[in-house]
Amino acid sequence: MSDVTQILLSVGRGESQAAEELFPLVYDELRRLAAARMAREAAGHTLQPTALVHEAWLQLVGSGDRNWNNRAHFFGAAADAMRRILIDNARRKAALKHGGGQERVALEHLEITAATPDEHVLLVDEALLWLEKEDPEKARIVALKFFGGLTNEEVAGNMNLGLRTVKRHWVVAKIKLFRWISERKP
Amino acid sequence: MSPEAQVEEALCVAALNVPDPLVRAQFLERACAGDARLRAAVEALLEAEGEAESFFARGRAVVNGPELDAQAAELLRQAAGMATDDFTDEQLGSRVGRYRLLQKIGEGGCGTVYLAEQAEPVRRQVALKVIKLGMDTKSVIARFEAERQALAMMDHPNIARVLDAGATETGRPFFVMELVRGTRITQYCNEQNFDTERRLKLFIKVCHAIQHAHQKSVIHRDIKPSNILVTLQDGEPVPKVIDFGIAKATEGRLTDTTLLTSVEQFVGTPAYMSPEQADNTGMDVDTRSDIYSLGVLLYELLTGRTPFDTKMLMQSGMDAMRRTLREQEPQLPSTMITSMRRTELTLTAGQRHAEPPKLISQLIGDLDWIVMKALDKDRNRRYETANGLAMDIQRFLDNEPVVARPPSQAYRLKKLVRRNKLTFIAGAAVAVALLIGLGLSTWLFLRERASNEREARLRAAAEDRAKITQAVMFVSQGKFEEADGVLNQVNNFPADPTLDCASAFRSVGEWLALQGRWPQASERYAALIKVDQLDNPSQIIFDYQACGVVLAASGDRPDYDRFWQQAVTNFDSMPNGSILLAGLLLPLDKAQIERLKPMAAATEKLIHAIPKNRQSEWTLMPIGLWQYRRGNDGAAVQWCQRAREQSLRFPPCDAVVDATLAMAYYHQGQTNEAGSELVQARQLVDAKFKSGLDRGRAGAGFWFDWVYARQLVREAGARINCDAARSESK
Repeated sequence: MSDVTQILLSVGRGESQAAEELFPLVYDELRRLAAARMAREAAGHTLQPTALVHEAWLQLVGSGDRNWNNRAHFFGAAADAMRRILIDNARRKAALKHGGGQERVALEHLEITAATPDEHVLLVDEALLWLEKEDPEKARIVALKFFGGLTNEEVAGNMNLGLRTVKRHWVVAKIKLFRWISERKP
Repeated sequence: MSPEAQVEEALCVAALNVPDPLVRAQFLERACAGDARLRAAVEALLEAEGEAESFFARGRAVVNGPELDAQAAELLRQAAGMATDDFTDEQLGSRVGRYRLLQKIGEGGCGTVYLAEQAEPVRRQVALKVIKLGMDTKSVIARFEAERQALAMMDHPNIARVLDAGATETGRPFFVMELVRGTRITQYCNEQNFDTERRLKLFIKVCHAIQHAHQKSVIHRDIKPSNILVTLQDGEPVPKVIDFGIAKATEGRLTDTTLLTSVEQFVGTPAYMSPEQADNTGMDVDTRSDIYSLGVLLYELLTGRTPFDTKMLMQSGMDAMRRTLREQEPQLPSTMITSMRRTELTLTAGQRHAEPPKLISQLIGDLDWIVMKALDKDRNRRYETANGLAMDIQRFLDNEPVVARPPSQAYRLKKLVRRNKLTFIAGAAVAVALLIGLGLSTWLFLRERASNEREARLRAAAEDRAKITQAVMFVSQGKFEEADGVLNQVNNFPADPTLDCASAFRSVGEWLALQGRWPQASERYAALIKVDQLDNPSQIIFDYQACGVVLAASGDRPDYDRFWQQAVTNFDSMPNGSILLAGLLLPLDKAQIERLKPMAAATEKLIHAIPKNRQSEWTLMPIGLWQYRRGNDGAAVQWCQRAREQSLRFPPCDAVVDATLAMAYYHQGQTNEAGSELVQARQLVDAKFKSGLDRGRAGAGFWFDWVYARQLVREAGARINCDAARSESK
């Protein structure tokens, strides 16, 4: 039994720690896949993140959506991995844009309206750190949807919530995050 | 989260469901009930909503997998430390599977269509559709593969075949189809200024194509103008239905006008969606869903508009949209035209090669009802098959009477009641969902097997439906023999039969009964009372009466007893003279008498509640026979005489009264009275049957009233003559 399968089974049994163990595996797998893909394929071909995640899933457990529950948990972990990848990149690019060298970009210098997609991602990420303390459930929904690209149904399955609850939380969470961001930025 | 914050959020979400600013203000006014702090807090949330929406929309590339765009892809490329390049389209000249892309020929919300060339096994040009939305490619293809066999069996000049499916190297699903270069049907008809007749003829061809697919158990699920293209072959316009099997493979998330809001995921093209599709339970879509979409298409061909406006549907929000599709009756096509502004009306009529008044008069009546029958919210009331719809239109074109009818008052009322039941059904559905959740893993295991069985069942059901439609057609043409032959081949009665289905069984049963072919008639009637649950109550009661009579006449006592059991179980203690009569037709045993007591008691009680001037011979008669059957001869005589005193009397009922009296008198030893009653009854019955039995009508008596009377006269005759003969021989 592979590590991943082992971990997924634990996740399935509700051992929350297991989800954290899954993350590095998923993260590595995603990076490895992306690199391999790009090295293999000629220019003109495209790379789609959801396709990538699906592929990572297949690589890790060997078969499609055999077990929905585990699949949902995998996507939860994938969302975290994607978030990390996106944030790391955005940081690097934004740092370059702002002269380079800095480890962290000072977000105060960003303007909401003029934010590039990278900066946009950084703003959401920072606001999300705040929301995680304030209202963890909503924050988790945002992480899954915004960074993981999960559908409402998948989020509902992942978090064991009703579909309507997910939709409601998502609407409110966006408003709260936006207000938090706009209160701090010019 | 504080309770205050919870209230604020709940109000904010609720207010967002109210798009109209005025109504929203009123709502908040009432909801906050003068709490200024609360109101301000909610307003602040609402105010930020628009900007928050667009802020996150800009990040939608990342938010929604389906919409991942070049920038998001670029980020991941960066993650992999690679250079960026263009992401959006497949390159022309490149290969996708076995196909080489030649030219982009179309683009919709759901995907891009290319002209492509297949080199092997034959060199030919095909249409290749790459699905844009980020979907689980593997399951899309798996679902397609599951239906591939059925799709391969389709072979029809009006269907563009789907040939192949696969994944592009970038992981998007693609479908390969027979290449159709055509114009969407609505546009074609408008450009050619087709009049109503030519439009209908073209539409009939579409119905035939859909029928063909249904018989191969393929449901289209996404019928709309852009999926029906018209091409010219030898100067003749030929409609081609495209995209078969794709909606199912993509789980119906594939449409040109996909609606993507922050709160909801994808919705189909709402204007063409059947109520059951809109309901989003997903499980329960069958061929009649396509019939509904055909109805919408017909509506648009005739009036230029869809029954519900797409824009309005989308703006009203998801729940309101579902409600509209589920509950709101569309305007009649003729009403829709009449309500148009002058300029639109002139344009619409012009495109149909007619003056406005002429166009309106064409639609009023038959075409209105044909369209409305196809669009019925209750799929049991729609046309059974696409062929049924086509044939009704053909009848309209041939100036023959059509099957479609305006709904009766009773039906409208019943529907109102049914609508309120939905609340309860929703509750039950939640409970069911919970149970399913508990057995999820078992369910997943069984799902695969169930879907195969379901296919087979669907196919058998489709065949039976087709047969019933054929029977309905034969009946409407007066070809009862043929109808009877077809009904004989129906294997299983539809689980949720239509009115047409019931009326086919009824007409054929009646036709057989009038010829005295009792065993065959009883088969049809036994089927009828099984399938007949939709008609108005008085019709159902007539059916029970006729069924009892036919079974008794065919001389099969066990069958009659089974019917008897069903009638008594269904109507139990309900006061109903007709059902009571049907149950008293043959002599009963003690247990049966016991079982019938509640109904008889209730019926008798009801009689006292009916004003004297509304009572008739038929009202009182059943109690007379009831008293005789249970052995109260005195009471039987009294009730029969009361029945006779009524001013409202009917010939067949007279005969029933006479025969009952004859038996009761005879039982009491009044042989002379018995004899003269019997003679009277026999004269009435004989005269009727000599002059020939016809269907009859309410008041004068139906055929089954007369057969009933004859049955009793025979019983009385057998009793009295037999005993007389015996005493003579002594």
